[in-house]
Amino acid sequence: MTGTNANAGWEPRIVAFLCNWCSYAGADSAGVGRMQYPASVRVIRVPCAGRINPFFILSAFRRGADGVLVSGCHPGDCHYISGNLGARRKFALMARLLGHLGIEEGRLHFTWVSASEGGRFAEVIETVTERVRELGPARRNAGGAR
Amino acid sequence: MTDTIHGRESLVRLLEGILAMPGVTVYAPVAEGDGAAFDRVLSASEALLDSSGAVRPPRQILAPMTETLLAMEPGGSAVDSVPAPEPTILFGARPCDARAIVFLDRVYAGGDRIDPYYAARREALTILSIGCREPRATCFCTSTRGGPLSVEGSDILLEPSGEGWIVRIITERGASLVGRAGLGSSDGRVTDPAAFPQAGAPRDLSALRGRLEQAFDDPRWEALTAKCLGCGACTFLCPSCHCFDIVDAEEDGRIVRSRIWDSCQFKTFTRQASGHDPRPTGADRYRHRLMHKFSYCLESYGMPGCVGCGRCVEACPVNLDIRLLLDAFGGER
Amino acid sequence: MSGAGLSARIAEAASRLLSEGSAEVVIGFEQGSIPMRATPCLVTDPSDAGRLVWNAFCANNLARYLEPGRKAAIVARGCDSRAIVELIKERRLKRSDIVVIGVPCTGMADPRAIARRFPGLRVTAVDESDGMLVIHGGPEPVSVPLDEVLHASCRLCARRNPVICDIPLGDPVAERDPGFPDVEAFASLPAEERRSRVEAEMAKCIRCYACRSACPLCTCASCFADSSQPQWVGRGAHPEDVTAFHVMRAMHLAGRCAECGACARACPTGVDLSILNRRLASDVSELFGCRAGLDENAPQPLAASSMEDSQDFMLDPGRKRE
Repeated sequence: MTGTNANAGWEPRIVAFLCNWCSYAGADSAGVGRMQYPASVRVIRVPCAGRINPFFILSAFRRGADGVLVSGCHPGDCHYISGNLGARRKFALMARLLGHLGIEEGRLHFTWVSASEGGRFAEVIETVTERVRELGPARRNAGGAR
Repeated sequence: MTDTIHGRESLVRLLEGILAMPGVTVYAPVAEGDGAAFDRVLSASEALLDSSGAVRPPRQILAPMTETLLAMEPGGSAVDSVPAPEPTILFGARPCDARAIVFLDRVYAGGDRIDPYYAARREALTILSIGCREPRATCFCTSTRGGPLSVEGSDILLEPSGEGWIVRIITERGASLVGRAGLGSSDGRVTDPAAFPQAGAPRDLSALRGRLEQAFDDPRWEALTAKCLGCGACTFLCPSCHCFDIVDAEEDGRIVRSRIWDSCQFKTFTRQASGHDPRPTGADRYRHRLMHKFSYCLESYGMPGCVGCGRCVEACPVNLDIRLLLDAFGGER
Repeated sequence: MSGAGLSARIAEAASRLLSEGSAEVVIGFEQGSIPMRATPCLVTDPSDAGRLVWNAFCANNLARYLEPGRKAAIVARGCDSRAIVELIKERRLKRSDIVVIGVPCTGMADPRAIARRFPGLRVTAVDESDGMLVIHGGPEPVSVPLDEVLHASCRLCARRNPVICDIPLGDPVAERDPGFPDVEAFASLPAEERRSRVEAEMAKCIRCYACRSACPLCTCASCFADSSQPQWVGRGAHPEDVTAFHVMRAMHLAGRCAECGACARACPTGVDLSILNRRLASDVSELFGCRAGLDENAPQPLAASSMEDSQDFMLDPGRKRE
């Protein structure tokens, strides 16, 4: 693992899957409020955290993301009643599984941000970027193809 | 100079001698979990010389599971990826493995079109086979015109004799390797192949072919293949299966055209863009594999597409034994 | 009851069910074509029922052969029945279409474990008696307790008697729950070692999909791995594609996987898929308090949710880092 200093000049590429009804609007409020946060994220808008197939996350890593953020509505606030709760179960398992396999530890983050939480959105991006920057560029497994 | 390898230690020394030759890549059976695969070895201790054959066949040395055919850079220039391998030695193939390479040669480089990717690897390859002391429960090479001492495809064959092996040079390429490795060769065949333990009574291939062709519409295909799961274990462990698909994909900012293994046992293999599938059932697909190996290949390549190595018998998750199907449709032994 | 006694009773039940028309097909095992193998056998004619056997080498999960709308009788031990329970819960099968011929199970022998135990021995036949395997092929027969050469999935089996059963055969065996020592042992390794172990397992994969094909719960009519529009996962040998396939398959099976181990036994190159599936099963058990196949009435954990679910794994910028 590379230390913070070695990666000081390097900007990670972070893919953020944001729910249309909350976190995406939260990003908007951060913008409207002119809050500063790192330009490291590429946002993909989804209709609900429940829409996020674990495969989206693996695909992002497969195509070169250094980190992935998934953000949906706080429990109880889902536009579709319980999409975020179902997603929470799926992501709890996925986060543990990837950690178990020793793959992408510390690069995958889940959180809740509501439409009004522009400040929290900026803070989340700050935190995720900082953690991924500490880890350095994602290690690719090119392996030895047979 | 010697023409005989006395015991296992001498065999290890031979491999060490080959590994010490400058500028060669050596493949040999290596442990993989509880099984074995042909992989690159750097020292003789990695090689499994006592194994009764690798689980995985050597075909990936010549036709890798995934190989890049060409790549296109963002600027639009395409780069062809014909390999330029250094001299490669396949050490410790079984005679059936070597025969499978004879078959692959006919497929990839036997007609008026030659596959440059295969040909480049093949040109660099020297095959040293080790004859089989005794057949395994899954072996049926003698039913495919092979045998435990078959020389077809090998450049050098080590014929088992007592505790050791007699060195038989089959080709010029083999002679050159023997010279460089400091070995001599026996002048003629010492072992009588007929006196050697055989893998069961041979089947008569031309009679078998005729009966199989007549059995194409036999109603029993469905019942006899009902347990087939439709996976590709048999085809992907087969040393002579060679079907592939070509796909274009983006990889690290480049467009890469790759050739990847495909299997006639997969549901998607013959499905057409319209949705029509000429081989819609598992029975159709299994029958195709059998007919291809024991009828169509004889027609196209003059040899069966099966060398009787028994890997598919061993690998099949449900023990659907190709020999039983051959006997069911191909008639009496 | 010995294997031979059970075989006879299975054959008898099969013959009766087929003759009286309660089943169109009986799904069981018959003797395989090579030593240490039994093979799935689909019997439709009562006169073929005598082919059915039960021994320590019945390695497949027979629930894989159940089809919607086909009245079938199936020889089922714990693992087969756990898969059947899940299939019924998913409404892929109707309980009324299936006759479960229940057999107790003390675990299946792993030919690879036998090969490790007796290196170089070319096994020609195996006899069983009272939990011992007598192995022929060497100059003298050798014996080994079945318990010592079990498949890993059998050693760790939490339900050996059928969960649902219509025709119980044999005396039930004692149940025990060994927990997840395998998962704990793997989790205790340093992350780098876990990662390299996983990479080594994935490097063995030849993408033959025997795991998927042998799995009773891989029931998708068309698999994400076969899709080209969109192409979810590259089809070749690239290690990241191979890993993505196995991780996704495991995720699809989370909370549904019957932990029968049929995938790992089907794998021709011996990829240890339990690293993925058992971890998920252990987490499902810990986080959601359920285990697939054991309860006909419990909802599937990933088709349910609760406000109270743990979210320890989630990022909260206000919270201190561990």
